[in-house]
Amino acid sequence: MKYAFFQGCNIPVRIEQYARATQAVLHQFDIELVEEREFNCCGYPVRNVDEKSYILPSARNLAVAEKKNLDIAVICNCCFASLMKAKNVLATNSQLLEEINLILAKEDLQYSGVAEVKHFLTILHTDIGLKRLKDKLRYQAKDLKVAVIQGCHILRPREITKFDHSFVPEITNDLVQVTGALNLDWHGKLECCGAALAGINDSLCRDLLNEKISGARQADARFIMPICAYCHLQFDTSQLHLAETPEDILPVLLFPQLLGLCLGLGEQELGIMENKTFTSELLQSLSAMLGPPEDDTKKKKKKRKQPAASS
Amino acid sequence: MSFDIFLGLALTACILGILFRLSVWFSHAITPTREKIPLSTRLQMAFAGFFKVIFSVRLFRVLQSFFTDVLLQKRVLDKSVYRWLTHSFIFFSFVVLFFLHAVGAFTFDLFGSEYIPTLNPVLSLRNIFGLLALIGVGMAVYRRLSMRRHRLKNYASDWTALGLVGIIMLSGFLLEGTKISSYAVYQSMREDYGFYDGEEAMALEAYWVAENGLHSPNLTQPIDEELVATGSALHQDSSCIECHASNKNAFVSYAFASATGPAAAAIGDQGTVGFFWLLHVGACLGLLAWLPFSKMFHMVSAPFSLAIRRVMGREGDDQVNIINRQMIDLSACTHCGACTVECSAMMFFESFQNDFILPSEKIQYLRKIAAGKKIDEQTLQRLQKGLYVCTSCERCTDICPSGINLKEIFLHARYALLNRGVVETSMLSHFSFPLALAQKFTGNHLQALKAVHEAFLSRFKSLPAMLGTLHLSRQKILDNTSYTSCYSCQRCTNICPVVRNYANPVEALDMMPHQIIYSLGIGNTEMALGAQMIWSCSTCYLCQEHCPNQVELTDIFYRLKNIAINTIETGDAK
Repeated sequence: MKYAFFQGCNIPVRIEQYARATQAVLHQFDIELVEEREFNCCGYPVRNVDEKSYILPSARNLAVAEKKNLDIAVICNCCFASLMKAKNVLATNSQLLEEINLILAKEDLQYSGVAEVKHFLTILHTDIGLKRLKDKLRYQAKDLKVAVIQGCHILRPREITKFDHSFVPEITNDLVQVTGALNLDWHGKLECCGAALAGINDSLCRDLLNEKISGARQADARFIMPICAYCHLQFDTSQLHLAETPEDILPVLLFPQLLGLCLGLGEQELGIMENKTFTSELLQSLSAMLGPPEDDTKKKKKKRKQPAASS
Repeated sequence: MSFDIFLGLALTACILGILFRLSVWFSHAITPTREKIPLSTRLQMAFAGFFKVIFSVRLFRVLQSFFTDVLLQKRVLDKSVYRWLTHSFIFFSFVVLFFLHAVGAFTFDLFGSEYIPTLNPVLSLRNIFGLLALIGVGMAVYRRLSMRRHRLKNYASDWTALGLVGIIMLSGFLLEGTKISSYAVYQSMREDYGFYDGEEAMALEAYWVAENGLHSPNLTQPIDEELVATGSALHQDSSCIECHASNKNAFVSYAFASATGPAAAAIGDQGTVGFFWLLHVGACLGLLAWLPFSKMFHMVSAPFSLAIRRVMGREGDDQVNIINRQMIDLSACTHCGACTVECSAMMFFESFQNDFILPSEKIQYLRKIAAGKKIDEQTLQRLQKGLYVCTSCERCTDICPSGINLKEIFLHARYALLNRGVVETSMLSHFSFPLALAQKFTGNHLQALKAVHEAFLSRFKSLPAMLGTLHLSRQKILDNTSYTSCYSCQRCTNICPVVRNYANPVEALDMMPHQIIYSLGIGNTEMALGAQMIWSCSTCYLCQEHCPNQVELTDIFYRLKNIAINTIETGDAK
């Protein structure tokens, strides 16, 4: 299975390890993420400025994928939302569609809406499935508490992103459970990291970030696990500017990095030390938490029996 | 004699021009830093940096850069085989032709042999490389034309450069071709060397017509084969053969000779030869003199910018040398447009129709500014916007074949222009995110942001500043009319993380989310547009998700932001 890999603008230059870890993990399940140089920015940065200019770039990206006959796999939440928004708008606004296709035609591109957009978590959760993930596990984490921050634009508005239940997301919950880590129920899980205000209202941006860091700490999180590229940069870069001492820093661990470790992939391949908030001591203690996967055949048997009894 | 004068003039222009361009490297700057760094410091730091590299292991990186980046052009090869072939055809052909042909006498002297252009290897090599260069020019022209639809811009200077190279090659072939076919040239050679008379002369001529491309008024095809055979023997016996390999070795010129021979003879072959000589030499000297004042200067500057990139990487630590590097980098741009074709912001160019969104066009103008040219205010404002409409993805910096550190140049230029105090509404976009993340020129950023904020304050009135009666109307200015179903339950405000953040939210935000929706409900958009709330919205969509009546609050806030920015941009009166 092949996907056109949409990395957006931040990931290739600032969070390359996120792309690499995702590729490595999906490769284990024979899913190839093909880098596509023809992709452009998803349009998200101009959303405050002009709605039409926000839609056009995503329409082009979808048209590029369409031309290559591939569906798109996305890591960044904001890119995901932009692509989904474009699909939604163009499905109903035929006048805009015509206008946009006129621009795309200059490059022999055309948007017709056949290319699908998938977040890599959906690929893991739905396409591969929890069962196959579990079967491939070589390790599972024990006593590892992580605070997942979902990122706003993947969940909401739910009519547009159609990703998961927007009040009680299940996908990340299930996936983190597979790794054996404890997915903390914490105060900032579904909230904003502040990234959208960076450079526009910096003090508010910092407040929102600090609130999340202290919230995750209060919940006793060992790591913060951002799903979105913007959240990642907030926790892995902006946090460094905020922290007064190294002890203040709440380290970042990305989901494909944790899953990759559990699948037996190397730390270097997953780029864990490339997370700026990570240290070699942390890596050691993280490795120490990994043990053989819990044999859940007993549970399975029980589960199998239950429907048999009821029928 | 006159050739020497023109050569001298062209060389002088070239050398003086290069010196001038070099002086610009250390005398100009584009930077938001207000105090000017004196020339002496610039030079001092440049030399200090230079020697530090020369006498360290980093010298290895410079050598590596010379072989892989300059000679082999690996940066281009990694991105596009087509562009690599194009450049290699032109570049290597030029190098070979320069040493083998232009200064061939010196080169051969150096190896202790005599330069005879009518013998191999010169005769055939010249044609091979001339042809390759022409193919390279053809490929470049095709690329420039076909990539226009991918937003590649072409300037007159781009065509001039390709045209000059093309003319040099083509006129070279035509010069050689007309010389081959020229009866006058043949006659004078025969007379000078005093070979044969009468029938023997006729036989030799027949041989040259049949085998060497000569166009003779005395002989018409088909030529008697016996005569040619006799001529061939005479040719072998004479000293002709010492200096003349078969002209067929000059396969391109030979082909030209048979095509142009009759016409050249009709016009007068001596004149034609003279004309092509003038054209060929003129174009060569023209290129030489034009070199420092054009993008061809990259021959001098690109090796520097590429070596510096290997040594300094994308980030440098020494502020003075960062500026020195920027000036060197700017002079190394060939306007190849590779950055523009792959620019992430390409679709914003389609939307906003501002050339300066394209990186290659920014660099071209910044180069002018760096050289001290005055640019009108309107262009500067467009450039300022173009500099801001950038996703900071650094693809341009990654792709540039000359190794230009575009992102650093854009960073400095962006704040240098913003320092002028002209309001830049694009600062309210998420292009600001990577800039805030980088934590560079933060003071300049805040100052420029303040100017934007003040522009909004003077255009819109916030609720607390409104005195007297409120205006109600039935006017609907939003296409999203979901606000009409609001029943003021205030759930949006209660769940908003931004509202929660402030002890006194009214003071910080002017209006709460539900109040903004309410103001739209009573038809007073002015109030909504002036509220700080819309600019403090973190776009988390919690309000919209939780609204029991499906009011699309976040989407509406986006729309209000669009309208507010557009109002400031178009300068709409109240």
